[in-house]
Amino acid sequence: MGQGHNVNGDSKANNKNGKIPFDEDNYTHNIHKDNERSLDRRSFMKLMAGAAGVFAVSTLPWGAIAAKELAGFGNKKYTAAKITDISEIKVGEAIEFAYPGKHDSALLIRLGENEFKAYQNACTHLKCPVFWSKEQGEMVCPCHHGVFDPKTGAPTAGPPRRPLPEIVLEREQGAIIATGVKRYEA
Amino acid sequence: MKRSYRGVVLLSLVLFLNIVCTQQTVNAYYYEKYETVILFCGLNLLLFPVAFWIYKRERDVK
Ligand code: FES
Repeated sequence: MGQGHNVNGDSKANNKNGKIPFDEDNYTHNIHKDNERSLDRRSFMKLMAGAAGVFAVSTLPWGAIAAKELAGFGNKKYTAAKITDISEIKVGEAIEFAYPGKHDSALLIRLGENEFKAYQNACTHLKCPVFWSKEQGEMVCPCHHGVFDPKTGAPTAGPPRRPLPEIVLEREQGAIIATGVKRYEA
Repeated sequence: MKRSYRGVVLLSLVLFLNIVCTQQTVNAYYYEKYETVILFCGLNLLLFPVAFWIYKRERDVK
């Protein structure tokens, strides 16, 4: 009964029945406050300004460490450390060691009779440990198949873009000694 | 309703620069170019007051 009354009482609504429920052209009928829509944009801008703040704070540690590094006159001092005896590593093989710190894992590769190379083997992509693949003659990162050239440490394939830091080596009475880590040039 | 999107566009620009500076900071750090690190770190820090200034200026624009 009530339904019939409605239809008869409002002929306009009757015409539109089954199409759209009522007059609207912008789907904003549920926004009541005058400036609710501009408030929306305002809080979005607030969010963006906040994000800029987060970015600023997040670079602070990098800047701080860099400043510390600069204050320490650039060149770090390394203490020499024996890696291994030459007799213990065959040509084409590699051994892992840690240099300069206990937790800076590194890789010593014997490329030839008298050719040794050593690199810090934390991948320059996301720090996975790079290993020496004898079959491929390359250093390979298992995480995303980054590949490094054992002669230079330069990345040859995969995501890494930066060469592995090379460790300076010296020979002393049948032993291989690490004496420092090379700085990147320019 | 006609609204001004200038604030949003400008802030987007600031955030884009933020991303670039952050990326450059980290890159320079790993390349051990510490002067560059400080430079981009400073830029990134400067961008925040800029963002805040834009926000304050555009906040009340209808
Ligand atoms: S961590 Fe080595 S390739 Fe991604």
